[in-house]
Order: sequence, then C-alpha cells, then structure tokens
Amino acid sequence: MRPVYPRASSYPDFARLVDRDKAQVDRRVFVDKAIYQAELQQIFARAWLFLAHESQIPNPGDFLRTSMGEDDVIVVRQRDKTVKAFLNSCPHRGNRVCMVDAGTRARGFICNYHGWSFGIDGALRGTDGKVYETDETFEKAQIGLTPVAQIDSYKGLIFATFDPQAPSLEDFFGPFTWYLDIMLDNDEGGTEFVGGAIRSIIDCNWKFPAENFVGDILHAFWTHQSGAQAILGGAVDLGKRYDELAFQASVYGHGIESNLDKVGNTRTLGYPELVDYVFDLSEKARDRLGDIRARAIGAISSCTVFPNFSFLPGQNTFRVWHPRGPGKIELVAWTLVNKNAPEHIKELYRKGTMMTFSPGGVFEMDDGENWEYATRVNEGFVTRHQPLHYALGLGTEDAASEMPGHVHRGSLNDANQRLFYTRWAEFMKYDNWTDLQNGETAPPVRRAQAAE
Amino acid sequence: MMIELCDSGAIRDGEITRVTAPGFPAVAIARHNGALYVFPDRCPHADESLAEGWIEDGRVVCGVHFAEFELGSGEVHNRPVGCPNLSFFRCEDRDGKVFATLAVEA
Repeated sequence: MRPVYPRASSYPDFARLVDRDKAQVDRRVFVDKAIYQAELQQIFARAWLFLAHESQIPNPGDFLRTSMGEDDVIVVRQRDKTVKAFLNSCPHRGNRVCMVDAGTRARGFICNYHGWSFGIDGALRGTDGKVYETDETFEKAQIGLTPVAQIDSYKGLIFATFDPQAPSLEDFFGPFTWYLDIMLDNDEGGTEFVGGAIRSIIDCNWKFPAENFVGDILHAFWTHQSGAQAILGGAVDLGKRYDELAFQASVYGHGIESNLDKVGNTRTLGYPELVDYVFDLSEKARDRLGDIRARAIGAISSCTVFPNFSFLPGQNTFRVWHPRGPGKIELVAWTLVNKNAPEHIKELYRKGTMMTFSPGGVFEMDDGENWEYATRVNEGFVTRHQPLHYALGLGTEDAASEMPGHVHRGSLNDANQRLFYTRWAEFMKYDNWTDLQNGETAPPVRRAQAAE
Repeated sequence: MMIELCDSGAIRDGEITRVTAPGFPAVAIARHNGALYVFPDRCPHADESLAEGWIEDGRVVCGVHFAEFELGSGEVHNRPVGCPNLSFFRCEDRDGKVFATLAVEA
C-alpha cells in the first residue's frame, strides 16, 4: 500500500476572485464550500505547514497530534532523533490510532478497532489475534501509517508537506528567513515553547486571522483601543519614528509588519521587567542581526507564514489557524521564549501571553468577535457579492530598500494583505511549483531572474 | 537435554537476540544485568516475535501490543485480554556457549 499524495489542479475562476488591479477581494472566498475544498487541495495539501517546535518532543517516542489542513497528523521523535509525521488514521478501516493530544515515550500506536499496531516509525508491527499471521498472502511489511511527503525544520520549527514535488522548506520560505530570524535566532541558545498549548474554536474563516497577522496593525487603533488603555494606560502609539522606520515586507505571501520601536509589543504584556529584558536583548542582538532586526524583536509587529502559521514578535505568541470548514477554525497557540532566558522571564512571557492572546486574553477576545462577524455576514447572498476593499497604501512600494522581498513604507498598509491574497490566487491557479515560485509574490530578485 | 544455541559473547546486555536451533522453533535470548534468559520467540498472546521487542526496567516488552513480561518469573503486566504469562527455558553459560533445555516447547 503506497501513500497517495493527491495531485493539484487549476482553478482560474477562483484565482480571479482576487482582483489585483482594483485591490479588491471577492467575499465568496470566505464562505463558498467549493472554494474551501479547493483550498484543502491546492494550499493545504501542497504548502509546507507548521507542525511543532523541536522542544515539544525532545526524546524518542515523544509525540503530539496536530493537523495539516483538516488532516489529523501524529508527529513523533524517532530513536535516531529525527522526526517523522503520519496521518493519524489506520490503513485498515481508517480509525484514528492516536486519541490524545500529546505524550512522552510512546512505544507505538495501536488502533482501537482491530488491534493493528504501529511502531513510532509508522510501520505495522503486528495485528491482534492469530488470524493475519496464518494468512500466507498477508504482507505486513507493505503496510504502515501514511507518512507526510516531506518533513524538515528551520531553527527549531518543524514543518511538513503532503506534496512530494514541493521545493525544499528553505525555498518555500525564500529570503523570508531573514525576517523569521528576528524571533528564531536573536540569541545563541535558540528557542523553545513553554507552558503547553491553548486550543480554542473561533467561528471565522481561516484567512481573516492569517491576513490580520500578515499585515493589519491598522485594526489595533480601533479594535484594541480599550484593551491598550487598560494595560498601558494610554492609546496604541506607533512611535515618533514611525514615518522613518515602519515597514511591511512580503515574500511568497509570507508577511511581516513592524514599526521597529524595540518594545511596543512587549509592553502590552504588562511586565516592566520583560521590557527591560527585551531592551537588553535588542542591544546584544545587534551583532547577530544588525540594527534593523535587533530593533524588531519586541516591536509593534506581526507575522504570518503562508498559509496559516502566525506569530507576534514581542508578545511571543505563536499560533496555527487550522481550517475546520469555511466558517470555523481551531486555534492552537504556544509561547516561544529563548532557551537561555532566565526562568522568571520565561514565566512572565507565559503569563503575559495568557492574559493577552489566549481565549480569555484581552486582545484575542477583541479579534475573535470581529472575525466571526466578518465571516458570518457573507452568508447573505447579496452581501457576499459586494467586493472588499484592500487598497490602503497603493503607492508605498519601497523598491530601493535593502531588505529582502516586497518592501512597503509604513506598517499601516494593506500591501502585505494584497500579496497574501495574490499568493492565495497563485495557489488556486497553478498546478505546478515552477509557476508557483516565479509569480508576482516571488521575491523581486528571483522574478527578475525568471523573466530573463 | 541441553541444546547449544550460540556464543554467549554475542548476547549483549539490554538486548534481545533471535536464535534458531535445528529442529526447534526460534528462541529469544536476552541478557539483563549480566544474567542470561532464554524464552520462545513468540509472545503468548498473538505469536509475535519478542526479539523485535525490547527490555525495559527488567521486563521484556512485546513490540506489538506492549505486554510486559518480567524476566525470570515471566509474570505479565499491561497485558492484552487473554495474554498468559511467559515461560522461560532453563539455560546456562557453559564455557562461553549458551545452552538451554528446549524440551517444553516441543
């Protein structure tokens, strides 16, 4: 039984729902069931998706359960210290073989239906009873849990794809790693997740939170004004040097926005000690990262790795927006810290993210309600035929920037969101990675090379 | 009658090795804290190979359904329904060779 990795198709009609010339997005992308199924095929069965942080499964047999799109997946540390990931479904009758969210030192996974038993390497080790063993035509060696097509990690973050044709994880990121390193490589000891995972359900389309984190600091001024007032004692403020420093950058639909004010995000966690820690960290990190990225570590900023993995520098919340149908997501959030950070600093991050970006957190509650209504109103037949406006900052491209990717001036801008939906349209339209990696969202240098 | 199985030096501590003697079903030989243990290479539950399992805390763990058998007594823990205890063959190390009485298996 060989793994079957579904092939991509082409949906040019869906791709046209993103109108680059008018900077508009058709609302059907948020509610239409056929479009949602195409997303599972074109995006979630092809893109590299975040699975876990290495620190969550340090020892052989340590495992966790997650999703790739709607596909239930087990991620397991092997005896040789590599990591494997499989569909959490028995190849016999399809039952889920792992029922718990996470665990340590698993010996294997036994299906509850007929006792088929799989090792942590996914191979079928045996079955119940003495039935198959006496069947001479039964070939145990050919049977196992379906593995992902490719798995790899980048500075502690493990990703996988169901597409054997997908480019390497490094190529999937392109030069966007320059921005990821702000969080993943600002300290020599590397990073880890602390404090477990927080799960919640939000009745919204997965693209609303993804586009929010890819480049919508604009909403903070209105949505989060009262929360900011409560924690900071004042309004959201992008700082005196906003015009000079703030930017948005995008590569292959991945996007980050920042005002480079050093500690604006960290301040919202409410602990002055954390602010001091980040000021020090920023100074120390100048050698590793240079001035711009050192300023970004705790700044007012946000990031999405296409399609559905997001984080906030400074607040240190990392999360995946798992799709659960066009109108629902399962949100899983973790807290990332530097391994070398003092224990009490890790503890403050853990508490701080809980109070701000958890289901009961000050800011998460603000956002969730907006995304739910932004999704639900599109059930209205007439409503969903009205396009949405994504045209802030059309003339802000910073072609002279020395930073990688498509850089735009000012973080109050729809630029990254336009490129996020352009990437979405590329996935809808293209059935191959050559086109996918050389379209409009490709980094400018690569596009120039491809054109020659 | 004691049957010669293999060089005792080939059996490393903490590991289980599958050995076949002509005319007998395969046996598993384990060494734990220096002592040798010889037992049928099939779990008493589903006939799976115990040599494909491993030793953990003084117990043989079946790699298929994770039943655990105490080395020596054969008492079963964490057993699937209907899984009896494991029986061991009498064995000894004679001049660097592992010998065991395989009669009960016949």
